[in-house]
Amino acid sequence: MSAFVYLDHAATTPLAPEVASAMAPYLAAEFGNPSARHPLGVRAAQALDRARAQLARALLVPAAQVVFTSGGTEAANLAVLGLARASRPRHVLVGATEHACVRACTAQLAREGFEVERIALAAEGGVDLDAFARQLRPETALVAHMAVNNEFGTIAPLARMSKLMRARAKEARLVVDAVQALGKLDCAASELGWDALIVSAHKLGGPKGAGACVFARELAVQAIAFGGGQEHGLRPGTENVPAIVGFGAAVERAEAARARNLTHVARLRARMLEHLRALPGLRVIAPGEAVLPHILAFSALGAPAEVVLHHLEQRGVYVSTGSACQTLSKSLSPGLSAIGLGEDEIRRVLRVSFGAETSTEDVDAAARALLDVAHELSGQVS
Amino acid sequence: MSQQGISSGPEAVLVRYGELALKGDNRGEFEQALVRNIRAALEGVVAARVERAHGRIFVFPEGRVEAAARRLQRVFGIASVSPAWGAPSTPEAIERAARPVLEEAFAELPVGRKVPVRIETNRVDKKFPLPSNALDRRVAMHILRDDDPIVVELNHPELVLGIEVRAERTWLFAQRYPGPGGLPVGTLGRVVCLISGGIDSPVAAWMAMKRGCEVLYVTFHSHPYIGDNAKKKVIDLVRVLAPWQRASRLYVVPFAQAQLAIKAIGQDEYRTVLYRRMMQRIASRVAAREHAKALVTGECVGQVASQTLENLACIGAAASLPVLRPLVSFDKHETIARAIALGTYALSAVQEPDCCTLFMPRRPVIRGKLEVCETLEARLDVPALVEDALARAEILDLTPSGW
Repeated sequence: MSAFVYLDHAATTPLAPEVASAMAPYLAAEFGNPSARHPLGVRAAQALDRARAQLARALLVPAAQVVFTSGGTEAANLAVLGLARASRPRHVLVGATEHACVRACTAQLAREGFEVERIALAAEGGVDLDAFARQLRPETALVAHMAVNNEFGTIAPLARMSKLMRARAKEARLVVDAVQALGKLDCAASELGWDALIVSAHKLGGPKGAGACVFARELAVQAIAFGGGQEHGLRPGTENVPAIVGFGAAVERAEAARARNLTHVARLRARMLEHLRALPGLRVIAPGEAVLPHILAFSALGAPAEVVLHHLEQRGVYVSTGSACQTLSKSLSPGLSAIGLGEDEIRRVLRVSFGAETSTEDVDAAARALLDVAHELSGQVS
Repeated sequence: MSQQGISSGPEAVLVRYGELALKGDNRGEFEQALVRNIRAALEGVVAARVERAHGRIFVFPEGRVEAAARRLQRVFGIASVSPAWGAPSTPEAIERAARPVLEEAFAELPVGRKVPVRIETNRVDKKFPLPSNALDRRVAMHILRDDDPIVVELNHPELVLGIEVRAERTWLFAQRYPGPGGLPVGTLGRVVCLISGGIDSPVAAWMAMKRGCEVLYVTFHSHPYIGDNAKKKVIDLVRVLAPWQRASRLYVVPFAQAQLAIKAIGQDEYRTVLYRRMMQRIASRVAAREHAKALVTGECVGQVASQTLENLACIGAAASLPVLRPLVSFDKHETIARAIALGTYALSAVQEPDCCTLFMPRRPVIRGKLEVCETLEARLDVPALVEDALARAEILDLTPSGW
């Protein structure tokens, strides 16, 4: 049993031991540059090809459509900026609860003269499909929407959104941020209808420093960085071979166990909710029609989530308040305010996120700690 | 690098220090401390020999002369430094050495006009065959050519070619980098600075160092009401300030218990003043343990509601040592300008709570009364809270984050 209970898998996951083993040779003897022409280089290039095939098989695309990047943010930049700049139409639709990296990219497009519009939400917080249909135009260049929200786990109706696009915005590309979804939901191009997919290794047992922008087929893309021509010229620079090898191994491992893990995590979530019923004023934040069970966002206690988080860490339980990237900025989570939460409530939202290796004992211990903290803080909130 | 011939680039750094401080009896102590601090500043960056000679300090780095000169601009007590070129102490060698020194200095000036230059000889070796002004003239004759962008100008020169003639070797220089002034850190003793993640206290610590005080830091950390990022922020600030003195020790004092006890008194408006009085007591105890002679805070009169003269009096009364407030008369923008120059501003500006909202009173008292503070504190076991916090303090010896 480890010294702490880790319930922050939506921020990052521990490196899976078999992934670390797969990476090990490339951190030691197999140090070749994949562009080098001697056997050491050729073996490194083959290692990249294996990882590319592992990702392509999971997403049902040709291996040549996988562009490895340094992570999700760089992949988002390539997908959003690269596709929009290469398109003739200039209208962009972006999800209301996107991750900061996608929002920042569409904000850049707005500065470049694109007309950027937010996708409408229904009252319950999911995408309003009727309104979305009306927002689509023949001159829509790009629709950017996440597969699974990182703050509360809402699963977007991407299959239906892509069908609406085919009829109303024939030139539009669907860019999907699947950073939270890969390895947990079926993210194949055929299932979700995306044109470009943004994925990251470290959310599914892989290492930090590897991600990919995957295209469903040959598309016009403008490069956003320039150099030696690696990754079809779309991501120049010597490849991070060990991390990419780890990414491939992590994807294969997660895909093989996907159905089993989903059942396991759904049980964990139900068990956690069972425990949390004892909290006065519990409100589960689960907008839309479906949420991924890996993420459970809720508000309950009167105390700020930040204070609860540090009291939990004192008891060895690590959780999160909203998106980890935003805890340093004083601005409130745009995602939580987009789904209609007030400032006071946003400050009280905690997020616990489970992984395949989370046990029922972990959930029980975390729930006990949470009830204990609620008891301790109940006298101090005035 | 030859110590015999004419050097092909700067080979030493000539260090000048403040004259005023030399008048007292403590001149030797002052110089020794400065040499010690110079050695410490260069340690790990440049291997260098440091020598005192006739009211100057000479630093002989093994390479990286420019980097060494720049580093010394952050050693208190130094008035200015010059990268210096060496030549044998003969008139012939000196006049030959002068030209490249000037040429390097020219490179930094705008072109296309005559640059007024003066030559200034300081003859430390009185046995040198020529008097100073004769050497000036001789060097001038040697370096002046018709096609040169140089005019000799005694009154308003833009460039001064300095020549220090010493028996063993002569030093030539045309660049002067200003030092930070002040007094060598440590010569005035040790102080304890109460540091938060804010903009003010790092600047106050720097100003205390400038006046020769070695600064030891105390910060108050209310875990688990705020997170370890707040502690990290203070550590980062201390590490940015660390190059200015030889060693930087930080006490991280757990403060949640004291805050809970003060909050439990139930007098909301006095909370902030009482928190700060508790901090002064704990910092005074740290000072006693560390042989420090004063406290330093970033407080300023009238900047925030709690900084009225009445509140400062209430807070200061809890300290058992003098409280130095170097920023007392600063406007906020003046403090910010210093913080930007120091490199602490960007870190301080990162928004990280240093007090939990649960502890902040809705309406803090503006004109606190000492009797009220003391009456309220009578309901607490003050010595126990102080000792408990001190016993659980974490002591960190921090190194510079950059060079």
